[in-house]
Amino acid sequence: MDLRTLMSRCLGFVLGKRMDSDLDDELRSHVDFAVEENLGRGMPEAEARREALRAFGGVSQTREEFRMQRGLPFVEVLAQDVRYALRQLRKSPGFAITVVVTLALGIGANTAIFTLVQGILLRSLPVNDPGKLYRIGDKDDCCYYDSFENDNGDFDLFSYDLYQHFRQAAPEFEQLAAVEAGGSGYSLRYGTIPSKSLKSEYVSGNYFAMLGIAPSAGRLLVDSDDTLGAPPALVLNYATWQGEFGGDPNIVGATVYVNTKAFTVAGIAPPGFYGDRVVSRPPEMWLPFSSEAVLDGEGNAAVRQDDTLWIYSLGRLRPGVSADALQAKLSVVLRQWLRSREAFTKNGGTAVIPKQHVVLARAGGGIQKLQQQTGKGLRLLMILSSVVLLIACANIANLLLARGTARRAEVAVRMALGAARKRLIRQILTESVLLSLLGGVAGLGVSYGLSQMILALAFPQAKNMPVHASPAWPVLGFAFLVSLITGVLFGTAPAWLSSHAQPAEALRGVNRATADRSSLPQKTLVVLQVALSVVLLAGAFLMTRSLNNLEHQNFGFSTANRYIAGIDPKSVGYTVDRLPELYRQIESRFSRLPGMTHVSMVRYTPLGGNNWGSCVVQQGHPAPAATDDCFSSWDRVSKQFLDSIGVPIVRGRNFSDQDTATSQTVVIVSQAFAKRFFPGQDPIGKHFGMDKPQYSGAFEIAGVCADFKMTNPRENAQPVFFRLMGQQFLGYKDAERAGGEEASMYANFILLDFSVAPKDAEALTRKTLAAIDPSLSMFQFNSYDTEVAGNFNQDRLIARLTSLFGLLALVLASVGLYGVMSYFVARRTSEIGIRMALGAARFDVVAMVLRGALWQIAIGLAIGVPAALFTGRLMASLLYGVGAYDPMAFLGAAAVLAGCATVAGLIPARRAASIEPMLALRRE
Amino acid sequence: MVQAKADVLQGTLDLMVLKTLESMGPLHGYGIARRIEQVSDNRMSLNQGTIYPALLRLQQRGWIQAEWGMSDTNRRAKFYSLTRAGRKQMAEETENWERISETMARFLAPSN
Repeated sequence: MDLRTLMSRCLGFVLGKRMDSDLDDELRSHVDFAVEENLGRGMPEAEARREALRAFGGVSQTREEFRMQRGLPFVEVLAQDVRYALRQLRKSPGFAITVVVTLALGIGANTAIFTLVQGILLRSLPVNDPGKLYRIGDKDDCCYYDSFENDNGDFDLFSYDLYQHFRQAAPEFEQLAAVEAGGSGYSLRYGTIPSKSLKSEYVSGNYFAMLGIAPSAGRLLVDSDDTLGAPPALVLNYATWQGEFGGDPNIVGATVYVNTKAFTVAGIAPPGFYGDRVVSRPPEMWLPFSSEAVLDGEGNAAVRQDDTLWIYSLGRLRPGVSADALQAKLSVVLRQWLRSREAFTKNGGTAVIPKQHVVLARAGGGIQKLQQQTGKGLRLLMILSSVVLLIACANIANLLLARGTARRAEVAVRMALGAARKRLIRQILTESVLLSLLGGVAGLGVSYGLSQMILALAFPQAKNMPVHASPAWPVLGFAFLVSLITGVLFGTAPAWLSSHAQPAEALRGVNRATADRSSLPQKTLVVLQVALSVVLLAGAFLMTRSLNNLEHQNFGFSTANRYIAGIDPKSVGYTVDRLPELYRQIESRFSRLPGMTHVSMVRYTPLGGNNWGSCVVQQGHPAPAATDDCFSSWDRVSKQFLDSIGVPIVRGRNFSDQDTATSQTVVIVSQAFAKRFFPGQDPIGKHFGMDKPQYSGAFEIAGVCADFKMTNPRENAQPVFFRLMGQQFLGYKDAERAGGEEASMYANFILLDFSVAPKDAEALTRKTLAAIDPSLSMFQFNSYDTEVAGNFNQDRLIARLTSLFGLLALVLASVGLYGVMSYFVARRTSEIGIRMALGAARFDVVAMVLRGALWQIAIGLAIGVPAALFTGRLMASLLYGVGAYDPMAFLGAAAVLAGCATVAGLIPARRAASIEPMLALRRE
Repeated sequence: MVQAKADVLQGTLDLMVLKTLESMGPLHGYGIARRIEQVSDNRMSLNQGTIYPALLRLQQRGWIQAEWGMSDTNRRAKFYSLTRAGRKQMAEETENWERISETMARFLAPSN
């Protein structure tokens, strides 16, 4: 059909009735012409009309043919089928509601997961032509490195100096920008508004030009903002501008104070722009790299340290550039740079330089950080939710089959009257697709609620997160497609079966049956449901056990009744010389609070998500080789720190009042540290330092504390050492280390250990802090339990969702079995009646029905358990403290399912046993 | 087979209608049907009704257009006329048809 015909047919479809009546007029006029002519030939009136009609042929055929041709017969028939289906559904609202609710749950679960997949994995950055963006690097290393990054030589974190080398060497990039890998927070004060703690990201001056976006107010950063000595400028996130500053237009161009340093607000980013990657809390302001030296001090500025690796680089490729060739070229640049840096060639580093390389990765979706972290979990949830949908499909197919059998008489009559098989199939499929579309619409509601719940669970600290629960167009498309496929999936078997009924046979034995063959598909579906449910239940058991192990493991320190208050003395202008007095005040004021056991201050809290690490060099040892594992975490703590988290000293002594700013710098090391760096020796009194042999006399080990988990709750306790808050090591010869040492003097958290937790801990802390220094704001307050639980957000989410899906599957499978067995009993009522009249005991009847159910369960389990074992293997990397073949999980899943299914089978069995033989026989 | 025969007939009928409109000018359905019967010397026994789906088809393709008007005998009727596209189509179809019939004629010539 050509386009023109199609268009006029569409028009005809719309005009419809009008064209028909037009045709009627025309036909009438045609016949009148003919009659007139016949009369003219001398025929009598009656004969003239008869002859005219004869010559015309069939009027109604002509009309019918015309109608088939004028519009879109396919659509018209479809409309007819839809009307018919709606009528059918109205006749059995219970059935319709059951199906729509089941589907809403199944499609809703899938759509919710897809909402996340779309929002996190599939989306492109809202920038100009994101397809041309490439990132140098494909890993998510973060945040500060000063050595080789990955064992296979993959480099993704660069120094500012290395980035400049890339930029000069690769004109293949239209623009090559750099961004901070991690991200900091600074307090920003504007006018009289209380200062705001905002998340920041350092970017190169060409960052916005590279992305090709336009400001919503003012201007964006340009290269001249990112030069040495340029007046500090920043760009605000649109959402932050709206949310924190009420969209005040006067802020554009105004002077604000970032950590007390004057900055100009150059402009506001466009609405919807969330930076270069999907994160739960996007940057609230973008600062040029040059301003890092202003904020962090020249000595401590990473941008001035040519060997500090802390930058990701991404850029826009010129058209026609080969990514492979460029990748090879950039790898050469990297190796040349590494060879020129003493920090990388020393201690045998030269030997590993040849394998160092970069990977040029597509970055249209931004830097794939969250994607790499959540991808695995999301894919698992996709699989699990589609299994739920499959079970729902099986359930509905079963209901439809039962319904189809009940409607066999109707179908038989229609076929006997000459209805085409094709048309019947089409009608049944229309009905199921209609149902699934209704379910899909309802599913969108379920999806919205579920994705909101998932987002809240997965990203509790989210602020302006660019992933939303409200469905975007691709999500709507997905839901529609899934509904359509679902409808076809569960409608096909019933449609095929009922259209292959032999009319005569069906009419003969309409409502009577014994164990007939037609129930085979139904049983198969139940078996399938049981099998799939076992998979989901086993997954739920595994994930829940894993979460339980994670949360209730022995971390090695105590969290109960402990609270963490986040402070940032640097942001309100404290200098290092004023810190001891501040800390003294904090200790004395807080320890006077009622019920306070210990007060301590730390730079990083254990399992708080952040830490600092360095290479340990023991006194008298040569510098470690590039390939040696010399890494240890370390933390700056106040005297009572170990007491405040209930960690005992196992050897030597704890920090004491005798350790002062001027006495020997002492450290306490963990058992794992002692074992790694001083194996088979008494570590007490030994000296070590960081990074270089010349500093290896810096610290003296005063004590050894029991091991506890500092950074990763999934790993065994790693080496860690603790330095006293007030003891600054003044022996560093280079500005970089001296700067880092100074920065480490600032405490970030106050740890409060109560004997009994007060009700208003937060208000109390705020008040006490304000009494010490009203300008010192508290950027965070949490119980330590909440803080630690934050480590398991993703695990908790996956465990809860798999449990939810497992439960859903269990209910669906049980209902499915119940439905089939009830139907089976209802159809065999007369047979059972006869059996009982002939002397079968009620027990025998129960056993007969139950045997049928148990067989289906048994076969389902036989298929499901191996499938579950296979799924368990896929999940292995997500599990903690549970084997992928954990027998408890599999036995548990099988037992729960068998139990529920047996109950579901028992109810109809008992109903069968209560059949009164006389009543049953009289029904005939 | 049945389908193929119908297609040939359909094409033939379309061409006859187009030719009739070309030589007669605007004409109503009855007129077209009668004209075809007369020209074919009543050899083609056509159910006059079949002309209407054909007219609709030609209209949908944009080859003819229709308008209500008055006949010579002062009767209301729908008059069909050829469009520019129809004229072009007519020329093409004619050439096509002549080539086929010539080929067929040569093929079926007794000398073969």
